[in-house]
Amino acid sequence: SAALTFELVAKCSTTRARASILTLPHGPVNLPMFMPVATQASLKGITPEQLESTGCRLCLNNTYHLGLKPGQEVLDAVGGAHKLQGWNHNILTDSGGFQMVSLLKLANVTEEGVRFLSPHDGSPMLLTPEHSMSLQNSIGSDIMMQLDDVLVTTSPDKVRMREAMERSVRWLDRCIAAHKNPDRQNLFCIIQGGLDLEMRRECTREMVARDTPGIAIGGLSGGEAKDDFCKVVATCTELLPELKPRYVMGIGYPEDLVVSTALGADMFDCVWPTRTARFGNAITKVGVLNMKREMYAADFGPIEDGCGCPCCRPVDQEGAMGITRAFVHHNAAKETVAAHLLTIHNVWYQLNLMREARDAIIADKFPAFVKEFFAGLYPDRQDYPSWATDALRGVGIDLREP
Amino acid sequence: MSDEIHDQAVMTFEVLKAAVRDGVAARLGKLALAGRKTVIDTPNFFAGTSRGVVPHITPDNVSKHLHAGGAYMALEDFIERPQQYYTRKPPIFDTPTPLPPGKPLHSFTAMPPSITTVLAARRIPAVPAPMGNSNNSISIFTSVGFQVLTTKEYHNAVEALKPDIAIPLADLTNHSTAPNTKRALRMADRTDQWVKEFFDELDTQDVLNPSKISTFAPILPIDYSIQWEYIERLAEDLFPHLAGLAVYDLDVLPDIADKYANLLTLPRLSLSAPATPHHILRQIGLGIDLFTIPFINTVSDSGLALTFTFPSPSSQLEPADAQPNGTGTSLKPLGMDLSCPSNQISLAPLLENCTCYACTNHHKAYIHHLLNAREMLGWTLLQIHNHAVISQFFASIRETLSLGQEAFEAAVEKFTLTYEPDFPAGTGEKPRARGYHYKSGAGEGKRNKPGWSKLGGDETPAAEKENGNPADVAPVTVAADVNA
Ligand SMILES: [Zn+2]
Ligand SMILES: [Zn+2]
Repeated sequence: SAALTFELVAKCSTTRARASILTLPHGPVNLPMFMPVATQASLKGITPEQLESTGCRLCLNNTYHLGLKPGQEVLDAVGGAHKLQGWNHNILTDSGGFQMVSLLKLANVTEEGVRFLSPHDGSPMLLTPEHSMSLQNSIGSDIMMQLDDVLVTTSPDKVRMREAMERSVRWLDRCIAAHKNPDRQNLFCIIQGGLDLEMRRECTREMVARDTPGIAIGGLSGGEAKDDFCKVVATCTELLPELKPRYVMGIGYPEDLVVSTALGADMFDCVWPTRTARFGNAITKVGVLNMKREMYAADFGPIEDGCGCPCCRPVDQEGAMGITRAFVHHNAAKETVAAHLLTIHNVWYQLNLMREARDAIIADKFPAFVKEFFAGLYPDRQDYPSWATDALRGVGIDLREP
Repeated sequence: MSDEIHDQAVMTFEVLKAAVRDGVAARLGKLALAGRKTVIDTPNFFAGTSRGVVPHITPDNVSKHLHAGGAYMALEDFIERPQQYYTRKPPIFDTPTPLPPGKPLHSFTAMPPSITTVLAARRIPAVPAPMGNSNNSISIFTSVGFQVLTTKEYHNAVEALKPDIAIPLADLTNHSTAPNTKRALRMADRTDQWVKEFFDELDTQDVLNPSKISTFAPILPIDYSIQWEYIERLAEDLFPHLAGLAVYDLDVLPDIADKYANLLTLPRLSLSAPATPHHILRQIGLGIDLFTIPFINTVSDSGLALTFTFPSPSSQLEPADAQPNGTGTSLKPLGMDLSCPSNQISLAPLLENCTCYACTNHHKAYIHHLLNAREMLGWTLLQIHNHAVISQFFASIRETLSLGQEAFEAAVEKFTLTYEPDFPAGTGEKPRARGYHYKSGAGEGKRNKPGWSKLGGDETPAAEKENGNPADVAPVTVAADVNA
């Protein structure tokens, strides 16, 4: 059963890119899309109203963090995460497993679940598929993720990798059985299998057979080579049913979004755009610019020329602030407001990048869009990253041709 | 702030209702600024800023959600000379001015055109400088340390930045203890000289009026008997150039009222950092029209939501207010500690009937969660709410004043009897100290304990490696720890 509808609007005639409308319990969203991460039910100092002004209609919350603070009891009493944070649009939650394994040194995975020591009092705790579902049911997210057994893709231990992949399938079955609200919350499966393409194929077939409303490709935000990353995405999307949303977890660099879209993925999330904002970095068409650099001290241009975000649009326009690079430089690392402004700009950039990609897909001009995007980032074609040119060539775009 | 009027060339202040008694007392007024479409109803307040921003509030939220008459800015926040770029001109002086036209201070800080800007040399409260002032300069405290600001540099800055209201330099010690007589005499002499120079160098007809800059002359925090010559000059020679008074201490006002009635027609801005709403009411009673209120920012940083209203609610306490206030008295608290676990599941607004953005879109449980999780939005929402409470406080004061002096005095008395004299202490951790301006006595430790650390004591900050570490507020700042 599904609490969503998926409507395929257009397909790129060259690549595997798709444009679609995903209608979730809290309204429709256009795919492909980027989802900003509001880890603890808040997007780094910006108000839900400001997040809305970037065009965002689906953001992430982290189950592990909300399980700790405010905790399940409070979530139940308040009536879930939408009510907690005053966000009337969609929320996606992860299972909590990844964060446990990555944040907590002493996490330990068994068939039962993930064992770890409570950060509150050091007492042993266990996150099972059932407990993850229960937490996500309390959160009330529009999209829930299954608990999976995540290994870093670069792990050399083939046996352990297979165990993790097979366990993830078994845990999906337990998640489906434990999910209390399939009529109003969507549970997505997560394909595992590391960098072993055969194992990925096997996992994809197993997961697809379980017919969840959406499908994620997991385990990829680690330190694997970009070539390997692209091969995994391409291998999975090839086998995925056309009429379901495909979510590549934990990626967020603009190049990754554009290439993954070309490979047939629809949804992406990453903390990078908002985290990097707090270090004074602005994401732009020509790359990441650090506003703390002296060269911006007296630069009275917008954060990015031509950007349509509330910060960058000229001050005489409705709802615009006319923020200059000089002002961001003046307050970067000194006042939280500078970070809030860059957060708004960066989130807007990421969402807009996907809006433009989507428009291009609908107009069947996606290859031209991809070329223009890379030309903006790299003035010299020699500098195009080979992983991107290779991956794009695999789906019919030759970046060397104008 | 209220009704729109046409632009006008110079600032005007109209007293609508004043005490008939002798001396200075509460009054109701309307301040219409040069070149502005809006008027500020007084009594009212200007929001405090740090480096040109109302702390935690982005400019879009300032225009949408902050109902302040204006913003007070300190030149020391804009003219630091970092060691590597010691000779560079502070960038603010090159600001182009799209909107409002010809107002670089507004444009640099992205302050919405509706906000009135006040420029003075120093923040309130100012960090005292070890080296003091000289005959033609003061010491200021910038993000990179103490620096000298000459009178000439200050006058040039006023001319270049074109604030709506400028406060000429005053020779202040910025210490809590009163200066000795000798120092006080020098303060009066220098300030007298500096204010005279201000108008010599910035000609009213040629510079100030065309730039739509109104001048509020400083009144020093020393005895009238010591600064009477200076005040006489203000009342006589300089009076035509003055738009208002910037009062660092109120004790002199009755003497001024006695001797120079013409100065009474000017709006008075208090720069004395009133500690509580009780102090604000007292100062209004002594004739203050405009305020800067540093406690709003500190209260928000402490995780407190202001909860007082004026006039105070009718005598019997509502059940929600009847909870023990921890001091064993029956007085109502001025604020509420949102870090307190009792707010964990409360879906109530911070203050019943508050119409601010925070109260109409969020609830106590969320703000409690944000403070508990050290999410920056917690302080943003508290700032929006606390400014709204102060704004409503002033609106109610004006309404009461329109009923007459007696109604006002009765309401003040009731307020005093209803509320605690001080704010409760906030138990939550404050935002990461945003640097240098928290500098205080030597040997003071870090303001907050280090954040959440990993199990197993891994030294690498998890924020650098993985998704959202709970303690992840890190990059916004550095300097505070340097002072620790
Ligand atoms: Zn922008
Ligand atoms: Zn409020």
